Amino acid sequence: MTFSAPAPQSHNTPSPDILVHAARLSYGGDLLFDHLDARFPGGRCTCLLGPSGVGKSSLLRLIAGLAPPGAGGEVIGGDGAPVTGRVAWMGQTEPLMPWLSARGNVAIGPRLRGEGGYDAASRRADALLTRVGLAGRERDRPATLSGGMRQRVALARTLFEDRPFVLMDEPFSALDAITRFALQEEAARHLAGRTVLLVTHDPLEALRLGHVVHVMAGRPAILGAPITPPGDPPRDLKDARLLALQGELLDRLAHAAAAA
Amino acid sequence: MSDAAPSRERSERMLRIARVVLPSAIALASLVAWEAVVRVNAIPHYILPGPLMIAKTLWTDWGTLQPALLVTLRITFLALAVAVVGGFALAVLFAQSEWIELSFFPYAVILQVTPIIAIAPLILIYVDNTHVAILICAWIVAFFPILSNTTLGLHSADHNLVNLFQLYGASRWQVLRYLRIPAAMPYFLGGLRIAGGLSLIGSVVAEFAAGTAGQGSGLAFRILESGYRLNIPRMFAALALISFTGILIFVLFTAISHLALRRWHESAVKREN
Repeated sequence: MTFSAPAPQSHNTPSPDILVHAARLSYGGDLLFDHLDARFPGGRCTCLLGPSGVGKSSLLRLIAGLAPPGAGGEVIGGDGAPVTGRVAWMGQTEPLMPWLSARGNVAIGPRLRGEGGYDAASRRADALLTRVGLAGRERDRPATLSGGMRQRVALARTLFEDRPFVLMDEPFSALDAITRFALQEEAARHLAGRTVLLVTHDPLEALRLGHVVHVMAGRPAILGAPITPPGDPPRDLKDARLLALQGELLDRLAHAAAAA
Repeated sequence: MSDAAPSRERSERMLRIARVVLPSAIALASLVAWEAVVRVNAIPHYILPGPLMIAKTLWTDWGTLQPALLVTLRITFLALAVAVVGGFALAVLFAQSEWIELSFFPYAVILQVTPIIAIAPLILIYVDNTHVAILICAWIVAFFPILSNTTLGLHSADHNLVNLFQLYGASRWQVLRYLRIPAAMPYFLGGLRIAGGLSLIGSVVAEFAAGTAGQGSGLAFRILESGYRLNIPRMFAALALISFTGILIFVLFTAISHLALRRWHESAVKREN
């Protein structure tokens, strides 16, 4: 399936890896992780599962540069350049500005960077909104959109930034099953080729979207051995192998929760 | 479905009409009862004038009341304007630095909790110009709700959005301009609505405190003066004007707030349920 690209895409070559070296982060006196090493493969979607409070979101924040990686710790792209500044973010609840239209929310980046060309940005925002199925709703305020539509706007904003690294923190957790299913598919399609890190509580979501799935557990936390589901995402949930993997994942999660 | 929609529309229309008709009917009934009590008991007008007499006094004494009304209005809105500018600017300053907020916020509270009627005589002694003194009193009362509401609003921007702005490299100024200030608007407008009423109260209280020194000043002075002369109908007329002014200010700011927020804020967006 091909889509007309509304703007020059910077990820014709796959996005680089994300490398985490000796990261250390404590929160409220608890050491969430210490000497954490991880490599998240470039151009792939890595899913992180784990019990609540294990530090999944904190790891995302650290990679995004919102939290310091600790003394001696480092987060760097596989190409040797820093990750900070090349990250697009999609959060849990619809982080939209209620006073801006859907279009204004999608095109907030250029405004913050002080780039001119408002018309060009608006056209590109409209094209992306059409791509996520919101044609005709460009001028609507978030209050008049449903939860699924708001999350689609957030997805369009993530795509608008066109960054090599995309960090997602339970982006679909607040949605109903059907909407979640549809949005997972759209996200997987639109984000193909980028280095995606997706935090989720839903083992099936991880198996559907992840090239690689890790369970994060312990205190300080470590990343469990990778699970690599067969085939390319978005996967068909009717595949029996996914169900077997789901069983294994739930086992690991139960162990992780018991250990915590 | 086909029945439900029109019947809901009808009940909404009824509600809109009732919102105007019911309070008006109560007002009318009270006025008629008041007039009847005064007439039946033959209460002399220097004890309790009837509403008709008060209306007549409004008309005949308009020459004295109108300049007084203008003075009160001018002081009220001037004090409010200074309170808005000062309160908003200080709130923005507080939002920029926690240290400044920690240092100064208690003094704003002290200024607020000390009753204005207790400070007014001092201000009137130290400030020669009575008008300026009254303006300061009204400002002190109106200033705090703007400051405290706007401060709260600037702090209440969604932290996910603050993170997003940081990720996209926004400067402090941009976070303020594009995120914190819009997020603070509903709070600010709520504060404005309170401050509008309070600045009227502040200016009236200060005029009372000024007493005869407030010669030639606003409506409160007219009430005092009429009291000394036992001109009770004029007292009521001036009181009615103050009430009208207060109601007008409230309606004005409610409308401004609604117009500013109706596109997006939860308090003003029309919902189906």
